[in-house]
Amino acid sequence: MIDQILRRLLISIPVLFGVLFLGFGLLVLVPGDPAIVMAGPTATPEIVAAIRTEMGLDDPVLVQFGTYLGRVLQGDLGRSLISNKTVISELGAAIGPTAELMFACLIWSVPLGIGLGTLAAVSRGSIIDRAIMAISVAGVSLPIFFICLMMIQYLGVQWRLLPFIGRGGPLWTLEGIRHIALPALSLGAIFIGPVARMTRSSVLEVLKLDHVRTARAKGLSETRVILRHGLRNALIPVVTLIGLQVGYLLGGAVVTESIFSFPGIGRLAVGAILSSDFPLAQGTILVLALGFILINMIVDILYSLLDPRVQT
Amino acid sequence: MSIADPEVLDAPAPVLPWWQRLLRDPAALAAALVLLVVGICAVAAPVIAPHDPFASSRAIMQPPVWAERGDWLYPLGTDGQGRDMLSRLFYGTRLTLIIGLVSVGVGGAFGSLMGLLAAFQPRLDPWVMRFVDVMLSFPAILLGLALVAVMGPGAVPVVVALAVATVPDCARIARSIAVSVMKQDYMEAGRALGVSSMTLFTRYLLANCISSIMIFISLRFGQIILIGAALSFLGLGARPPTAELGMMAAQGRDFLLFAPHIAIIPSVLIFVIVLAANVLGDALRDVLDPRLRS
Repeated sequence: MIDQILRRLLISIPVLFGVLFLGFGLLVLVPGDPAIVMAGPTATPEIVAAIRTEMGLDDPVLVQFGTYLGRVLQGDLGRSLISNKTVISELGAAIGPTAELMFACLIWSVPLGIGLGTLAAVSRGSIIDRAIMAISVAGVSLPIFFICLMMIQYLGVQWRLLPFIGRGGPLWTLEGIRHIALPALSLGAIFIGPVARMTRSSVLEVLKLDHVRTARAKGLSETRVILRHGLRNALIPVVTLIGLQVGYLLGGAVVTESIFSFPGIGRLAVGAILSSDFPLAQGTILVLALGFILINMIVDILYSLLDPRVQT
Repeated sequence: MSIADPEVLDAPAPVLPWWQRLLRDPAALAAALVLLVVGICAVAAPVIAPHDPFASSRAIMQPPVWAERGDWLYPLGTDGQGRDMLSRLFYGTRLTLIIGLVSVGVGGAFGSLMGLLAAFQPRLDPWVMRFVDVMLSFPAILLGLALVAVMGPGAVPVVVALAVATVPDCARIARSIAVSVMKQDYMEAGRALGVSSMTLFTRYLLANCISSIMIFISLRFGQIILIGAALSFLGLGARPPTAELGMMAAQGRDFLLFAPHIAIIPSVLIFVIVLAANVLGDALRDVLDPRLRS
């Protein structure tokens, strides 16, 4: 058990290095002088020269990478060129809202997706099954920004039901919930389809197995057979598949946060890139990549806990 | 000959060619037609566009012809700068499709090659797959953000990011397909005959994997279009004044209240294209290679 977790942690080390190297490479790959980019468009030559020495740009690349690693490990990601705050503090303020948004999105879309998927599997081939699958294909095909714009247009502007700009406060306050409702609904809308599809095929697999036939033979009610013997086992692969979709959700979150001006990492990243705030852009991408790896790692470990047959 | 004729009953059901089976499915037929029409419009954009897609006119935010104040001069209305929506849609579809096709094509080719080589040369397998695992840790949207941060907004970094993001998934699928093909007797027979490695790889392995790989790539196409459009919507993709569907939707965002058609029409077109690609991909898979159904 602990063995497995340790092995999983070891596997992620090269990936972690890859991510850090990407963050570092971003700076090296920039066309032109990184010092000029770091210093911003209005810097004087003296400032550029100072940054050159400070960054050790005249050192060999591997030495530079070592220095960079040392700085990142100490939490030093530089300062934003626009706000002049440290990148780490900007990131710290944005992580909470993004986590809130993810939570608010998953809390309604995953149960609904699992419910719809199970319903489709149970009524396989019927009109209900086809309708649910049609809705989920349509959901997977909708551009996320279109859903967001329609939410704003109708629920926000025309019917004035919910606010659609910014964050109202922490998730446990009424204003917080009201403000997060539209972003979470939009983001969840693109997630129901994949979850429903995965659940359907997983439940169909499980319902073919012997233990389900035994349960039926024992004379258990169909609801009990499906919920206790079918769905419970079917959920194991669904958990991993949800984990695998984190990248998909992350992309959706970047767009959703930008449209609703929701102060999370995604909006921070897009804003930094559009305003050529290089240190901040580098920091946000690094944090997004680390978050992605971390979630995948947790999902893998969770999977081996849920299903002892799996060897990581 | 009556139905009860034993000869008729005993005859095996005729096996139709795959494309006939495909087009018997009404959804797949509709999807194929939609993609055909969209493709023709994109290719023929310079010929069929009624106006210059970049030229502003005085008719600003004119609604489409079915709305009040609509005018046949601009069948789908005009945008915030008075540019003809229909012409911009033709050109926008063109760019959106090019971005999708080039990234899926290049990324798919590299990924498949990696996967096939891994299956063909077991010595390479662990290295290739470890590399693929590392690549899988970077979702497409992150690669896009990173590349745009380095290269500046534009269609090229988006294409590169989407292509790179297609590689790992494609390599995995290609490998798993190729591993099962490698176990077939005809591969052994080819080796025994002394066929050269190159021929064995192309004529025996590749030829037997290609259709399954193509199905997988076609299923990816829709997602890639969506990510590309999202990046353009955020202002990270194609630059104005070029027309791209995601960017056109973003430009309509400011006029949502007065002229919703500017944002809605390009968004709906993206939806229709992606939906058609997904439906057709699913149908192709069911007809050609039901094994891939996960």
